[in-house]
Amino acid sequence: MTRFLVTTLGLWLLAFAPAFGAEGGEPHTLPFQAPVVFEIGFFKVTNSMIAMWTVGALIILVAQLATRKISLIPSGLQNLAETVVEGLQGFLGGIMGEKLARETFWFFGSVFIFIICANWMGLFPGVGTVGHKLIDASGHEVGFVPWLRGANADINMTLGLACVFFLLWLFWSIKHNGVGGFLSHIFVYQGEGAGFMKMLLIVIFFLVGFLEVISIMIRPLSLTFRLYGNIYAGENLLELMLQMGGTYFGWLAALPFYFLELMVGAIQALVFTLLTAVFTGLMCHHEEGEHGH
Amino acid sequence: MELISLFSQTASIATDLQAVADNLRKDFGMHGQLLISQAIGFIIFAVALKIFAFKPITAMLEQRRERIAAGEEKLKRIEKQLAESEATTAAAIAKANEDALRLITEAKQGAAAFTEQKAQDAIAQAQQILAKAEAAANADRERISAELKREFGRLVASTTSQVTGKVLTDADQHRINEEALAKVGN
Repeated sequence: MTRFLVTTLGLWLLAFAPAFGAEGGEPHTLPFQAPVVFEIGFFKVTNSMIAMWTVGALIILVAQLATRKISLIPSGLQNLAETVVEGLQGFLGGIMGEKLARETFWFFGSVFIFIICANWMGLFPGVGTVGHKLIDASGHEVGFVPWLRGANADINMTLGLACVFFLLWLFWSIKHNGVGGFLSHIFVYQGEGAGFMKMLLIVIFFLVGFLEVISIMIRPLSLTFRLYGNIYAGENLLELMLQMGGTYFGWLAALPFYFLELMVGAIQALVFTLLTAVFTGLMCHHEEGEHGH
Repeated sequence: MELISLFSQTASIATDLQAVADNLRKDFGMHGQLLISQAIGFIIFAVALKIFAFKPITAMLEQRRERIAAGEEKLKRIEKQLAESEATTAAAIAKANEDALRLITEAKQGAAAFTEQKAQDAIAQAQQILAKAEAAANADRERISAELKREFGRLVASTTSQVTGKVLTDADQHRINEEALAKVGN
């Protein structure tokens, strides 16, 4: 066992030999912005957008194949699809309550499946490496535009997801609480008490409500940067490892980080879904419970 | 003072948010058209996934849940019916046993009575036959005795007439008969 570990570690360190032998120079890193691959009129299409449509199309295709001959006794892909859906329903039901989870499942289920598939697709060979060269007027190569990029390694994608969630959260909150209930949930003290203490608490809660509003406004940003930061950093790390390993050993240097990124991709999908579900549950779940009683 | 601090913090956060928005545009390449396109793209994906996957799968899961619940309900009903059936069967068997025992007892009693009655009949019949036979035998004996007496009297009278050589009157004959019979009878 020790021999195996030492050999593996030795081989892995050997993969960095080209980096140690290099004469310096800035390593190429993934740009912050997803490059535009082509434009249709004013409509720009970035490589992360292509990745998003590809992931979406693949998921829909798998869903179609799984549900094409749906039967009471599941088999093959239907088994997998049912396991995923049932698992997610149970997970969300535990956070938000069965009723709210059923109502909002289309969004939270889609968010989880999309993010995890998009994150893992970013690890596929060809993503970030297959593309076209940018040639200037004099015929010199001035850059390289990959056709695909991890969909969540683009701030427009993660911010788009967060904005969609924020709008839906606002809609569900008002639907379940009403406008007055929604505002009172933020600004009004709903505990018990009497006399001066109660008056003080009412004033404090009203003022804290403004901080709560700011915290609510910041939520989409925190969701955006958490997902974007993790996925962008992961892709950048893989790219750096591939460069450090050189032409022949790049794959070996990056190999351990692929496993890490598989884990990060799943964890980030779970975190995004969990947080958005918790935010929704906090605003709507108690109201459902009261109706239940 | 604390309230003033709270408001100043709020204002500071708002300023920071503005700075973050500027950074998003400049450094991270946030672009209105791209943002809206990606958001709409995701909504289309979510709606398509709902139609093509979540709806049929949820319906199937619900159908399976209902079927399992119905199966369990049916199983409970069958178990209840089985228990009732077992109880009914046990009661029927007990009743049948009871009836059988009663019938056997009645049959035994009937058979005993019948046997007794038949025995009594047989005895009575035998007694009757015996009495009849006895009566017949007595009658026969009486008749034979009478015939013997008559024959004996006739023989005695005939013998007496031949020995004495006189013709006997009816009175003589009767007297001789009586004397002879008296001697034979002794």
